[in-house]
Amino acid sequence: MFSALFYLQYHSVKNRTVSRLKRLKQPKYLAGAIVGGLYFSYYFVRPFMMPGQGVQALPVARLPGDPEWVELIAAAALAVIALAAWVLPNRRTVLAFTEAEVAFLFPAPISRRGLIHYKLVRSQAAILFTVLLLTLITHRWGGRAWIQMAGWWLMLSTLNLHLLGASFARTMLLDRGISNWQRRVGVLGAVGLVLVAAVWWVRQALPPLTAPDFADLDRVKSYVSSVANSTPAIVLLFPFRLVVGPYLAGDALGFLRALPGAMGVLLAHYAWVVKSNVAFEEASAEASRKLAEKVAAIRSGNWQAAGGKAKAGRSPFHLSPAGPAPTAFFWKNLISANRGITFRTWVIIAAVVLGVAVGMGNIGGGRTLPVVAGAIAAMLAVWSVLLGTQIVRQDFRQDLDYLDVLKLFPVAPWQVAFGQLLAPAVILTGVQWLLLAVAAVLVPQTPNFPWRWPAVLSAALSLAMVLPALNFISLVIPNAAVLLFPAWLQAGKEGPQGIETTGQRLIAFLGQFLAFLVALIPAALAFGAVFFLARLAAVWWVATPLAALAATAVLAIEAAFGIYWLGWLFQRFDISSELNP
Amino acid sequence: MIQVQGLTKLYGEFRAVDDVSFTVQPGEVLGLVGPNGAGKTTSLRCLAGIIPPSGGVLRICGHDLVKDPVSAKRHLAFFPDEPRLFDYLTVWQHLTFVARIYQVVGYEPLAEQLLEELELGGRKNALPGELSRGMKQKLAIACGLLHSPKVIYFDEPLTGLDPIGIRRMKDSILQRARGGAAIVISSHLLHLVEEICSHILILQNGRKVADGTLEEIRRKFSEEQADANLEEVFFRATASPPPLPADVAKPGRGG
Repeated sequence: MFSALFYLQYHSVKNRTVSRLKRLKQPKYLAGAIVGGLYFSYYFVRPFMMPGQGVQALPVARLPGDPEWVELIAAAALAVIALAAWVLPNRRTVLAFTEAEVAFLFPAPISRRGLIHYKLVRSQAAILFTVLLLTLITHRWGGRAWIQMAGWWLMLSTLNLHLLGASFARTMLLDRGISNWQRRVGVLGAVGLVLVAAVWWVRQALPPLTAPDFADLDRVKSYVSSVANSTPAIVLLFPFRLVVGPYLAGDALGFLRALPGAMGVLLAHYAWVVKSNVAFEEASAEASRKLAEKVAAIRSGNWQAAGGKAKAGRSPFHLSPAGPAPTAFFWKNLISANRGITFRTWVIIAAVVLGVAVGMGNIGGGRTLPVVAGAIAAMLAVWSVLLGTQIVRQDFRQDLDYLDVLKLFPVAPWQVAFGQLLAPAVILTGVQWLLLAVAAVLVPQTPNFPWRWPAVLSAALSLAMVLPALNFISLVIPNAAVLLFPAWLQAGKEGPQGIETTGQRLIAFLGQFLAFLVALIPAALAFGAVFFLARLAAVWWVATPLAALAATAVLAIEAAFGIYWLGWLFQRFDISSELNP
Repeated sequence: MIQVQGLTKLYGEFRAVDDVSFTVQPGEVLGLVGPNGAGKTTSLRCLAGIIPPSGGVLRICGHDLVKDPVSAKRHLAFFPDEPRLFDYLTVWQHLTFVARIYQVVGYEPLAEQLLEELELGGRKNALPGELSRGMKQKLAIACGLLHSPKVIYFDEPLTGLDPIGIRRMKDSILQRARGGAAIVISSHLLHLVEEICSHILILQNGRKVADGTLEEIRRKFSEEQADANLEEVFFRATASPPPLPADVAKPGRGG
């Protein structure tokens, strides 16, 4: 039986790899693979080949020099994760199988233990890939690659087995009538007892920390180290220290010394998991269905649906049956965007944010906090023009799976396109205006800020004018990309994966950035021309809004052309050739 | 009401639908039958304006579907085999949205009536994810019928329905036809086609093998068996297929 499961796993991996290699015949995948490969090699592989080259290590990422502290922190982190596995979850055992695996394997004459083994083997593929990635990252800061790889593998495999074993144990406790809260109280109580015992133990040996001691970092470190090396804490952290031991070994000898302990913990976990006899099938089947839905939702950009149980969104306004069709798409997409959050909530949030900003402004006088907050708000406003479109996706990208439905409607293509872009454009504009207002209130608190209020208002008003049209242009580009190259951004369970997809996304983003810059050129020229003329007769803070108005007109014309073009793309989009739903 | 002349759909060099012509008058129910890969679903999706035809003229209520799609689409409704609903809109929001798209002024009483008829009256605020498959299909039907279409396409309309639902669906189709709608049904269920269709069109390898009233088709293929049922006629009609195009071995799309 195990051979059949191995056959399934082997051929799944093999076929997936072959199909990915085959699709490299298509230029779009080949280009993506080349760019993705270059990206990964520059950031991760280059440091292996050419030590000292590539991206410089960030100082904060360097591990502290004291091995004892590193071991302590790593062991404590593992302990926290392990503890969380016993405290946080409230569901029964969930082994995540795919829907196909549930359909084929659950009714098959395979023992529960066989399914667990299959799951463990499957999880190894993901673990090995993660090990590779983590090693590529951590090796940039030195050390021996093979030791790090083996160390990561031991840590992740043990953790994986522990999470699974803990889920089995939780299920068994639930089956025996011990509720989630009873279990949590029991586990936290036991851990609390150990910590209290450790502190008590240390207090017998060391004087307690006093308030002045907290100013002395060495004193605090010494105290924590003493707690960690007290008998109760040693007992508590001992298995976790064993697990992180091989990774932290400096050389081969140290690794071999640490290996037996870590392997012992790993094998003990393995025995624990395979000896458990817990009925997980029903919960797993349900979880597999939900997981498939979640993956599909995430890949289609619908993060709200992926976040858990979908909530019905309230209608943002009354949609009467008569009127322009784009309003219907706007209404529909606002509902999608605002599930769980009403329009009133947004208004309250905006009022609170503005109120806080005004309050901070009043305490201003060169204080750091208002200035920093204002600068952050201004940066976010600028940043959101380009990157906000990657977050707010209630447009064609969200509805890629529904294009056949949209095509049924008796609505002109440009109206569909306009309606589909309205919701993200309005949402982004609303957020940007709020950020702009916050920045306008707070940034002038900067010491020696050169502008007076009319100038600040003029700049804010000018930016506020151009932002809506900029958002439409910014949204046209990724939506056109979806309709032109749906395979690059395809939603659904079988969405694209792999290094070539990373490359495709990089190309798409660079393309979007370049197209955006090109679209800005005519508007910048219009702005410059009007500003020059207006300055002949007026001060700059009067000339700027006039120039912004001209730029807005140009941007609006560009956006209109873009929307019409998007509608044309939507009309000629052949669903059967591209998506084949 | 539905006029199709030389409908052709190509995928590369593969002819999924090849020069198919037919007409469906008001009150007629055309059964589109054929083996898997015959081009039934592709034909329906072309007729609904979802995918562009590669050739041919498609007229819906006198409007050219390719040249004037907006006018043509105002008159039609398409019900695919899998109900296609927005997972973020509730039952009532679906109807509100569709009413605006089709400009159905004063839609509320009709929407209420449809929901009651389809036993969805108590689920107005439910999301599609909270509905069973049959209920989703009912919601799709309510949305499709809200604007009183004159041309209706059904792709495997009985999939997922319980016996009561099947009976109601059949009655509903016949009722719409009696009301003057032109209806096309694509189905593998030959007994359904035989029971409710006034006309039959048999497709094979994208080509029309036969069309006409049930009697005409029966006469053509029954080999003097007056009581031959549609199943026997279907097997005879598709047993000696027309000559295959050279590229037909390529995997087919649609049904």
